[in-house]
Amino acid sequence: MRIEKCYFCSKSVYPGHGSAFVRNDAKVFRFCTSKCHKNFKMKRNPRKVRWTKAFRKAAGKEMTIDSTIEFEKRRNVPVRYDRELVQTTVKAMKRIAEIKARREHAFWKNRIAAAREKLRTHRKKKLEKIKASASVKLVEPMAVDETETIKVREKIKVSSRSALVPGEGRSMGMEID
Amino acid sequence: MGRLRRSRTHHAQRDVHRASRTRARTRDLDQIQMIDLDPKNRAALEAQPLDYEKPGLAQHYCVECAKYFETDNALRSHWRSKVHKRRCKALREPAYTIEEAERAAGLGREDKRSTHTEQPVLIEPIV
Repeated sequence: MRIEKCYFCSKSVYPGHGSAFVRNDAKVFRFCTSKCHKNFKMKRNPRKVRWTKAFRKAAGKEMTIDSTIEFEKRRNVPVRYDRELVQTTVKAMKRIAEIKARREHAFWKNRIAAAREKLRTHRKKKLEKIKASASVKLVEPMAVDETETIKVREKIKVSSRSALVPGEGRSMGMEID
Repeated sequence: MGRLRRSRTHHAQRDVHRASRTRARTRDLDQIQMIDLDPKNRAALEAQPLDYEKPGLAQHYCVECAKYFETDNALRSHWRSKVHKRRCKALREPAYTIEEAERAAGLGREDKRSTHTEQPVLIEPIV
């Protein structure tokens, strides 16, 4: 059993899923969904379609160079079944996935921080430019006078016959004998 | 009774669907870039023997666009056109391949040949 990768979006294609197109030079193109197949038929370049893995990798949105990525490989040499080997492999896979997730999170955090810094400097520059131009008048916040009246809580006497007080035969409650 | 079907039910998709049929499939960019633009193959493609099935007896072929023309004049005016120039520009950057899709998915290759990023030998299309 082999889990293929989609030609367009690079998602995993499990056995019995998706479709394949064989070009007349015997190259097999696998697709995870009809969406990917249709995009391929429209001759779109996955590197320019924003939702594909190829775009994200090419545009620096995701980690590309890392030792944790190097483990998954297409190996065309069959390995004889060995219980010990399987156990250690599964153990290693779990550990690698853990490390990879942590590194990916760190990468994402770095990327976002850099983008935020860039946005801030851009905004600052823009504001200064506007201030310098003097053709636009910025609205300054109005001066607020400090002497604010202090609110005093007043007690309002409620007469016992008020409709707000339950009882006295005026309440909305059920009457009990 | 009048017209029952509402108007504007066509979305200009007919030609898109027709062009995507397998029997109408043209050569892909990676095929052109890695095979056709090679000088040896290019010369063979430009000097094809007479073929009565092809437009213009297969005598006027644009290698970049993988297209036959009826006359030499048509081919020359095509070379000056925007379609051809756009195609040349698309051919200048490396084509997308299955290997790249797998690499983007984090799936490497075991063999020694393509452990480094496989870059096709770029052949500049003649403008």
